[in-house]
Amino acid sequence: MEKFDVAIIGGGSAGLAALKQLSNLGKQAILIEGGKKIGTKNVSGGLLYSKNTTIGKVYNVEDVYDNFLTDAPVERQITKYMLHATSKDKMFSLDLTPTHNYQTNFGYSVLLNKLLPWFAKEALNSAEKTGGGIVTGIHVRSIMWKDENTIIIETDELEPFQVKAVIAADGVNSEVAQITGARRKFTQSDLYQGVKVVVKLPEEIIEERFEITNNEGAAHLFAGDVTLNHIGGGFLYTNKDTLSVGAVYHYDSLIEKPTEPYELVNALLSNPFVIELIKDEVPETKENYKNLSKEEELRTRFKANKLIKDWKELHHTYYSPSGVKELLANGKYKTKEEIKNKVDSIHDELVSKYDIEFESNYVELEYSAKLVPDGKRCRMKKPYFKNILFIGDAAGRGIFVGPRIEGLNVGIDDAVRAAEAVSNAIDKNSFHSNILGERYRRLVEESPYTKDMDEIDKNYLKVFLDCTKQVPNDIVDYRYRAIFKLMSNSTFRGISVGLVNKLGYRRLLPILESNKTYTEVPIKIAERKGKDVQKSYSIRIPAIAERIAKLNYNDDSLSHIKVLDSQSDFMKKMVTLCPTKCYSMENGRVILQHEGCIECGTCLKETEWRHPRGEKGIAYQYG
Amino acid sequence: MLNPSGTLNVAVIVKLEPDFSEGNVSYNSDGTLNRAETKNVLGPHSAVASSAALYAKVKYGANVSVATMGPPIAEAALQQSQLICNADELHLYSDRIFAGADTLATSEVLRAGIKKMANEQGIDIVFSGHRASDGETGQTGPQTAWKLGYPFIGNVIDYDIDKERGYVRLQRLIKNYGHNDIIEELESPLPVFITLDPSYSPFFNTVSQRLNLALNQNDAEKRSSRYKEYLKTFSAQSLELNLKSVGLPGSPTIVYKVEKIPRAKANRKADIIDGYSQENLSQVARRIYGILGETIIK
Ligand SMILES: Cc1cc2nc3c(=O)[nH]c(=O)nc-3n(C[C@H](O)[C@H](O)[C@H](O)COP(=O)(O)OP(=O)(O)OC[C@H]3O[C@@H](n4cnc5c(N)ncnc54)[C@H](O)[C@@H]3O)c2cc1C
Ligand code: SF4
Repeated sequence: MEKFDVAIIGGGSAGLAALKQLSNLGKQAILIEGGKKIGTKNVSGGLLYSKNTTIGKVYNVEDVYDNFLTDAPVERQITKYMLHATSKDKMFSLDLTPTHNYQTNFGYSVLLNKLLPWFAKEALNSAEKTGGGIVTGIHVRSIMWKDENTIIIETDELEPFQVKAVIAADGVNSEVAQITGARRKFTQSDLYQGVKVVVKLPEEIIEERFEITNNEGAAHLFAGDVTLNHIGGGFLYTNKDTLSVGAVYHYDSLIEKPTEPYELVNALLSNPFVIELIKDEVPETKENYKNLSKEEELRTRFKANKLIKDWKELHHTYYSPSGVKELLANGKYKTKEEIKNKVDSIHDELVSKYDIEFESNYVELEYSAKLVPDGKRCRMKKPYFKNILFIGDAAGRGIFVGPRIEGLNVGIDDAVRAAEAVSNAIDKNSFHSNILGERYRRLVEESPYTKDMDEIDKNYLKVFLDCTKQVPNDIVDYRYRAIFKLMSNSTFRGISVGLVNKLGYRRLLPILESNKTYTEVPIKIAERKGKDVQKSYSIRIPAIAERIAKLNYNDDSLSHIKVLDSQSDFMKKMVTLCPTKCYSMENGRVILQHEGCIECGTCLKETEWRHPRGEKGIAYQYG
Repeated sequence: MLNPSGTLNVAVIVKLEPDFSEGNVSYNSDGTLNRAETKNVLGPHSAVASSAALYAKVKYGANVSVATMGPPIAEAALQQSQLICNADELHLYSDRIFAGADTLATSEVLRAGIKKMANEQGIDIVFSGHRASDGETGQTGPQTAWKLGYPFIGNVIDYDIDKERGYVRLQRLIKNYGHNDIIEELESPLPVFITLDPSYSPFFNTVSQRLNLALNQNDAEKRSSRYKEYLKTFSAQSLELNLKSVGLPGSPTIVYKVEKIPRAKANRKADIIDGYSQENLSQVARRIYGILGETIIK
């Protein structure tokens, strides 16, 4: 049997950082990833933060990848961070940029399908020097112990092999955790469901519309009627030439009043302010070819489609400085005006000859969904099992505080700590929990991120409250009106924060994370103090079937999910809550069609849930 | 027996062919292939042969040489093959007098070229595709094998090597007693000449092989972008060939004329259906069902 020092299971942001860091420490590690290519199984919002915390050191992305700031394919550095309270065509906005800047070196918007392959390339370069590397398209199926120091890993594809330690970075739906029984399955109160669409929008239009420059980015958060009465909110982040628009809702609240996940994202897309932000010019075929013969009609349609494709490409490129530069460099066009003229002439030809109308709408590229663990409620207090260490989402380590959703940075910080513990164990050639597991647990406990999951950071709260000064006091719920009042008075602030911390998350959460906070109060604020927002067109949102049809799947004939009780209440709710409608009802029983599954994990609790075999299942293009 | 160097030496014979994939072929008005307009690529069977060499490289650390006979543009086939199998050496056999060669004369050039490979230490396995897609007869392989004095084994779908004993163990597809696709297992001492079944695809089933595969793919990208550094071009003279046995003089067969076989008149009527309409599509489905009935819903 082949032997290696360490296996990392899962090639998301956490697993790749572990590989890079262990290799930096001169240790041999192999990373096993189920997706055919790195970055095809991962979803994020995604703002990737680098923090500068005062209560202790966090390990940031640039500590792991030293050329991150110069070379990594990130989207935009967020310089504007807004929270909007919405109610129909009213909106009240708060500038939360100071909270975004709080103890922050930088926050970049990222698309994981672009960024993770870069991480992988960097990690691989280091890993190869120690005889390690990355193996993709392989699904880990089982884990056994030969003796205290030897783990045998079985996969669906390869011969079994043995390692001395494992780092489990297999995400929120961790099979390693299930197989080993290292932790219970996450329950609905531990989780949020995130749904996202990537919207295409030309680079310069983004900059003009969001009032940002070439390298800057904006983040907009939403609460109020867009939540459809659920606990959570919406986000819209600018990427280079796309937007990430998504909704993240507490699973408890979804189970209580099931709402289709896509309806939640649609509610956000239909908000008049958002409508204006995502607006683009979109060609629509009228399909009015009645007077043509069949063959003539096919030919016309073919030509029209080709022209539409050309127009879309050139229209997009025209608004991208790098795209224009490239076109001018390869000599196809002499000036930018020439490109514009070409765009216009195709436009006119489409209108006059092919009966195409140009409408205002938006262009959706990809629909995705995934569960997010709320570290306050579910972080593993003992993030290891024998000689397996859990990092990132697999360990339930996500930060959910007010508008903050952070998992990427946390997973990277965990990875560095796990790598250090494993490296030490290899040096001592002992993988006993005293040496490995406990050491890792201590290192993780020291992380400022762990503190963020355990208690409210009063300084953050201060910054947040300073930003909310314009909110009228009498709107706020009576239960924390007193606190709010005290907070706005600087002399009392210190005392009241102490009070808040005394109460602790456990008692505060029902107040903080309630419908009142996410829906009722924002609606009231918007109605009382909001400004009017006009929309200039009516949006057409693709149906869920169209969204699914656009996704890339490599079908597995075998289902990776087995329904345990097709008549349970929970499974019946899946008919509504599965983001890609994999469940339906027939004769009072729930039936599953696994082919459309995007591996979000929403149905995991009452199913026998596995990731698909290597290379199979969903393959995201943006993530 | 393995060649004396101790490293497994494998060769791949490839061919540049018109790209028959959709949208890339161009025809003359009489329906014959327009060779000038059609793009040329590494033939699909050559690609399969290259992937068999990749298997040898990843699993056994083989030294890989790739060869083709043809005009200078045939270099493209070598480059594309190198991208698949991370070849260490590329051979182009190019000489005006090779023109008009039939399969026998081609085999003679390949024989002489293979002898020159791997510092003339001797090639243990020669891989070639099933046959070329632009009308080859499948004779070049067996003839080259015969000239080299290597056993010829066709339709191979899997192989493994016992380096110590100098043997190769293979699986191949055969037809027997009216059954297609019978898998025959056999063993042969090295050296051998192998043609691959089109269904062949290498499978790497250990972690080390996968790691090695990734390294090789990485390397192959780098190498093939600078493929000229690996390229050696040979003429009839540098291959020390007898001019009577190559090109037209060495070709006992001559292609006198290629006839276009007239297409049988189709005895069917086509309806053009607008596939954009749901209603029309269900009509099509109904008609298919009408013709095939239950047999399609097994
Ligand atoms: C809508 C949404 C918005 C978010 N916004 C933000 C944000 O703005 N900022 C932020 O920091 N975080 C955000 N997060 C959270 C963040 O995306 C995650 O915390 C992070 O991506 C988790 O990384 P990971 O490496 O732990 O797990 P994953 O990225 O889930 O990686 C796990 C990997 O393991 C592989 N795998 C699983 N099982 C196996 C197996 N058995 N064998 C082989 N491979 C396996 C999977 O294929 C996958 O690639 C958001 C999440 C969502 C869903
Ligand atoms: S079947 Fe389950 S895991 Fe798959 S998409 Fe639906 S809810 Fe998510």
